[in-house]
Amino acid sequence: MNTDFINNIGLTHYLVLAALLFMMGMAGVLLRRNVIVLLMSVELMLNSVNLTFIAFSKYLGILDGHIMVFFVMTIAAAEAAVGLALAVSIFKRFNEVNIRFFEHLKG
Amino acid sequence: MTADAFLFWFLAIVTLVSGLSVILLSNPIYSSLCLAMTMVGISALFVTLNAYFIAGVQLIVYAGAVMVLFVMVIMLFDLKKDIQAFTKGKFSGAVKIASVGLLAGLVVGAIAMSVGLLNEKTADNPVTAGTGMETTKALGQILFSKYIFGFEALGVLLLVIAVGAVALARSKGGTHEH
Repeated sequence: MNTDFINNIGLTHYLVLAALLFMMGMAGVLLRRNVIVLLMSVELMLNSVNLTFIAFSKYLGILDGHIMVFFVMTIAAAEAAVGLALAVSIFKRFNEVNIRFFEHLKG
Repeated sequence: MTADAFLFWFLAIVTLVSGLSVILLSNPIYSSLCLAMTMVGISALFVTLNAYFIAGVQLIVYAGAVMVLFVMVIMLFDLKKDIQAFTKGKFSGAVKIASVGLLAGLVVGAIAMSVGLLNEKTADNPVTAGTGMETTKALGQILFSKYIFGFEALGVLLLVIAVGAVALARSKGGTHEH
């Protein structure tokens, strides 16, 4: 068996890991019904993108990816604050966090 | 197996398993705890990529602040176990999983093809050369010179978010009844 793939960790390994994490987050957004779990899946996707940025930053030898990660983290924290405020607001009104119950915005 | 490789595979497995648990467990509190575990795993992966400062920020902001926010909101709702955790919309779950799988194959294939081009540039590497302190210093210098407008915009964004969250909480149906 070729052990090169196992022993030499390179950019590809990190990118594939980040892609798999992103797909998990996307599957969560598509499949789950609970609004809070949807928000958590979005956080999962943002984290996988952060991992991609840092991996590229290291293997290309530039620091700009680190700055992008700062920006993504700030946006993610802001999104969590507003999303959870909306979730609380929806829960107070409908007493439910299942997205199947909020169909008012459907076109 | 070298120590570096072992560390990567260990962290990758921890991160993937806890990430999968986030979307598969039907109890939201377990999902949020698994998400915290994923954040910690990603933070450790940042350390293996020599991004020490970002790893610390990840632990404090994500695993600390954001996850506490999630857990507190879940406790506010007093949710039971979700019996129907997964949606049944216009498209069935199998179609959604298949489309996600197709996209995953596409992305991984694109990565595998494009990385061959990148491998040549990675020989000489200034980020790995310096210690953590030097990287952090350089990071601060870039943040306050090249990206100063983005930094200022983030400050404005955070102010808007704070006002917006308070407005949402005080509006009809929010946490404060009138």
